[in-house]
Amino acid sequence: MSQDTSTAANDLGWDPTDPHGINPHDEAHEGHFVADWRMQVSILVILLFFTALTVGFYNLEQWVETAFEITLPRWINIAGAMSIATIKALLVAAFFMQLKYDKALNTFVMLFCLFCVALFLTFSMIDLKSRDWVYAEKAPALIEGGTGVGLNAASADNDFAIAVSPKVNTAGQNIVEFARLNGNKNEHGLLYYQEQGKEAEFWEHFYTPHSTHRDPLDEKDYFSKLGIGHHNEVSTANASHPRHGLTPGLFSDVEPSHTTDHASESNDASHGEADKADDGH
Amino acid sequence: MTMIDTSDTSAVPARILQSPKHWRNRQYASHWRSGDEEFDASKLGMWLFLSTEVLLFAGIFCGYAVFRMLYPEAWANGSHYLDWRMGAANTAILLFSSWTAANSVRLAQLDKQFWFKVNILITIICALLFVGIKFTFEYGIKLPQGKAPGTFFSYPFAHDPHEPLWWSLYYIGTGIHAFHVIVGAILFAVVLWRAHRWQAFGPTQYTLVENSALYWHIVDLIWIFLFPLLYLIH
Repeated sequence: MSQDTSTAANDLGWDPTDPHGINPHDEAHEGHFVADWRMQVSILVILLFFTALTVGFYNLEQWVETAFEITLPRWINIAGAMSIATIKALLVAAFFMQLKYDKALNTFVMLFCLFCVALFLTFSMIDLKSRDWVYAEKAPALIEGGTGVGLNAASADNDFAIAVSPKVNTAGQNIVEFARLNGNKNEHGLLYYQEQGKEAEFWEHFYTPHSTHRDPLDEKDYFSKLGIGHHNEVSTANASHPRHGLTPGLFSDVEPSHTTDHASESNDASHGEADKADDGH
Repeated sequence: MTMIDTSDTSAVPARILQSPKHWRNRQYASHWRSGDEEFDASKLGMWLFLSTEVLLFAGIFCGYAVFRMLYPEAWANGSHYLDWRMGAANTAILLFSSWTAANSVRLAQLDKQFWFKVNILITIICALLFVGIKFTFEYGIKLPQGKAPGTFFSYPFAHDPHEPLWWSLYYIGTGIHAFHVIVGAILFAVVLWRAHRWQAFGPTQYTLVENSALYWHIVDLIWIFLFPLLYLIH
């Protein structure tokens, strides 16, 4: 062919014998990289592996916390998940989106965008963290139970009147509390359970064996009645609270004796605690 | 006008070969120096658009980061409502569809029309599967329970007073992402229709395929980040 298809070889950048490029030929896509199917399949397999890895990391965290009875700091979860996600993202961008084989301008566009995202997040975090450096009352809100501003409460500033939601009128209550009392058409709230006399059942939804906080709405103390609060109560001078099981490390081979000496000493609480080894009663 | 076509057209029906929308009959617009330049410019435009998409989700991620920092218990509680197996299945489906999308670009470049269409079809099916799983097994179960965004929240057994924030971010993040999945599926449906009707895509004309695949990969990338952030909070 007399056509000079290499755009680098002439100054024009296009072929004068075929100005519209209507003749398709093999070098038409000389600048276009055709991926190898084996490379693509292996990248897919690696991506699926990393997905399994991130799920495994999550399960590993949970196992470590229960097996070693420690609480991992929160940033570990974020750091682990984000680093694996970043590797996956790099693989998809470089190989599936073919950034590796493309001209550098496309990569630059994406990197600049990520730089903008980093700028966005960084300044937002700096702003949030430094709010209380000058005015203490501007610290980010960490108010237990919410701020108490309901959906139809009067707004604090008349210049910024909040349009009341037509959907829900919580009468000044926190929406979570409102939902707790009233429920919805599929899930019943506390008021329904109270009418039916099934309050314990309602509070069971909240209280798991690991629950530690009694809800202020739990007026009849189902927390303790369900036997959940039991393990968290501390003995006071006015009331000793029973402990289950042997005190670890205190016994070797000898079983504690269950003699009548217990009965004679039962009135003498301080003796029972200090003089005798705790036998679990 | 002389057309010297060196590709093998024996298998292509005459009706398609004569159509101006067939890839052999399409040519790049006259104001471009070459087809390569048109393709590269189109791709750059797509990359610029994709960076705006990333910035869109960056806003959602920023909201997520701020509220996770402020209310970590609500976030841990909220994450436990979600079934990570659904999320993992959706991740696998999306990764697989990303592969078929990339593969379809390769097949268009090699003029393997049948397998090109098959891969596009699989990508669309994966997209529908993703959205189907999300709407039936996730949204469809949670919304009737009252785990809803913003003022629609009415779940009576919430543990933490800041849980509605979690739900709002969950629905906004996954909802806008699901919308993008649907848009990507529509794009690929257009590609499939044009490929089926006119064999519109081939080694010299596959810009729409390439750009649709790039869009699809960004959608997949976003989900790669959404999945651990939403489903795998400890």
